[in-house]
Amino acid sequence: MIRTLKEVYAYREMVVTLVHKDLRGRYKGSVLGFMWTFINPLFQLLIYDIVFSKLMHNAVDRYYLFLFVALIPWIFFSASMTGGSMAVLGQKSLVTKIYFPREVLPIAYVTSSFVNMLLSFVVVFAVVLVARVPVSPLGLLALPLVMIVEYLMALGVAMTVSAITVYFRDLEHILGIISMGMQFLSPVMYNEITMNITGRSLTLFRLNPMYYILSAYRTILYYGGVPDLKTLLPGLAFGVVMLLAGFAIFDVLKKRFAEVM
Amino acid sequence: MGSVIRVKNVSKKFKIFYDRGDSFKERLLFKNRSRYEDRWVLRDVSLEVEKGEVLALIGHNGCGKSTLLKLLTRIYYPDGGTIEVDGRVSSLIELGAGFHPDMSGRENIYTNASIFGLTKQEIDARLDDIIEFSELREFIDNPVRTYSSGMFMRLAFAVAINVDADILLIDEILAVGDANFQSKCFDRLRELKAAGVTIVIVTHDTGTVTRFCNKAAWINEGSIISYGSASQVVDAYLSYMNGKKLEILKKEEERRMKKEAEARALEEKKNASFKAQHESKATMPDKETENIDYTANHFGLKYAEIEEARLLNHELQRTNVLEAGKPCSIEIYYKVNKPLDEYVFGMAFYTLEDDRLYGNNTQLDGVRIPHEKTNGKVTFKVSSLPLLSGKYRLNVSIVDVNGMPLDFYREYCRFDVISNDKSVGYFSVDHDWEVT
Repeated sequence: MIRTLKEVYAYREMVVTLVHKDLRGRYKGSVLGFMWTFINPLFQLLIYDIVFSKLMHNAVDRYYLFLFVALIPWIFFSASMTGGSMAVLGQKSLVTKIYFPREVLPIAYVTSSFVNMLLSFVVVFAVVLVARVPVSPLGLLALPLVMIVEYLMALGVAMTVSAITVYFRDLEHILGIISMGMQFLSPVMYNEITMNITGRSLTLFRLNPMYYILSAYRTILYYGGVPDLKTLLPGLAFGVVMLLAGFAIFDVLKKRFAEVM
Repeated sequence: MGSVIRVKNVSKKFKIFYDRGDSFKERLLFKNRSRYEDRWVLRDVSLEVEKGEVLALIGHNGCGKSTLLKLLTRIYYPDGGTIEVDGRVSSLIELGAGFHPDMSGRENIYTNASIFGLTKQEIDARLDDIIEFSELREFIDNPVRTYSSGMFMRLAFAVAINVDADILLIDEILAVGDANFQSKCFDRLRELKAAGVTIVIVTHDTGTVTRFCNKAAWINEGSIISYGSASQVVDAYLSYMNGKKLEILKKEEERRMKKEAEARALEEKKNASFKAQHESKATMPDKETENIDYTANHFGLKYAEIEEARLLNHELQRTNVLEAGKPCSIEIYYKVNKPLDEYVFGMAFYTLEDDRLYGNNTQLDGVRIPHEKTNGKVTFKVSSLPLLSGKYRLNVSIVDVNGMPLDFYREYCRFDVISNDKSVGYFSVDHDWEVT
């Protein structure tokens, strides 16, 4: 484990290059290019606002904002899961031809999605500012921490699924369905307050690691509060466990990558 | 000096699927298709490489040498045994890994070098050397897709060779670019070798092995047959491969002989019926010598005719495959149609490009063959065949004392020579080198 980490650290430039290449390649050839990183979430927001606030008259105050601050982090996690499943398999030419610590591939994929989320947050902050949410400075300070915990979770999941997909290619499609289901089971479009979830249902609701993450984002950016330790600590614990499990599974499965690809 | 690569009892097997289904449905529906057999590519291989040594892995295709190299780079993991490698490894197995055609040469240097595990600072420090070595300075900011394949390989090689590895693993990639660049690559490899870099190289070119490597391991069917000084292992390998080639050629020849015999039988049948029809008209060949077509492969006045010529090896077996350094002979069976006072028998070896390597006849050697009988045999005996490995043509002829062709075959047949001599050209020269 320590040795693997050391080696991954030695290959940090490879992570940087892969992330750079991915971000540059994403909108390659399009006229607006990198601007799409901002245009995309902006129009998403516009559509949500029209549909949920103007057409459906949602009871939740400023529903577009309520949805938006959780949706952007959710998209990052979901992309790490579904897209991350192909992180190793999609780089067949590298894996079968040359040695490098294989962990680099899911790390680079998740990091690239993470950077993409950070860029989307430029739009999120702008909207939060325009909507005049009374964001607490302490809450803002906690935001990077929440992001890091989410990153750990996303990486743990990506490592697990990217390794398994090499042996079992259906997983990519299965994950598409799982991701859709998870979106409805997580507090993305609603939360326990708007849906009035209590008692045993709430306990079940909290078994989902994403509950803690998305709740924290919403506390900071929608309610203008500070996430309490009861939310942060279980999230952190989930993140660390998922990451360790991901590393362990990856470590076992990586040995035959080059043979079965 | 201590060893930097230690391979102990390493085995590797691959699962060979008859028809692999990767998806869940396929696995469920076609259980039989997931049947596989284990193929052991390497069995119980052990070797140690000391620091600064250059080791060659040789063997014919599919013997497991490339698998061993991939195990050393850690692309594969062994199924048994252990592999320890100390130091930074750079593998020149696949050049240009991660190259992006739309990015410039300079950007691709960064990408490619990062895959070798270099940090940005390390790449910055080497950038000039890499560009210099690739000879692509004026094109370095153009996208790689505008490069020719030779330029592409040069850039890729330049990166791989400038990684500053302690151990360099190379798989058959020295066929890069033109002759100049190739020799530059070898110069660089020699520099690295002198600087104490350990190199393991997989190659088919035994010349490279003897010129460049200290040690060699000959791998056959997943096991090391011979391991030791490069020249000794190469000798053993070559003589084994020659033996194998001999077998193949012999089999080929048997097949050919059978075909020829069938064709001849058919021909004779035809001739017999033709003769029966034209018996009375049968006359001696035309005396007019102007009618001889010297450009044909087979021509002559037919006063005397070659019925058959035979190549015999040292065991006096008929063959078209001769072993260099051993005795052999050429038998010319003839019959006389119109007696002359004397006949001259000749032979020659030609290359396939029609250069005469050697020619001789009975007249040149002062052997007189006056007319005595209407058929017989003349044999050209060689005590030790001096030709090098290759394909040659045999020329046989009967002429009269003035050199007028009676029966002349420019190419009677082709034959192969198998030689252990690694010299180049056509002839072996008995020699020694003395250094004073």
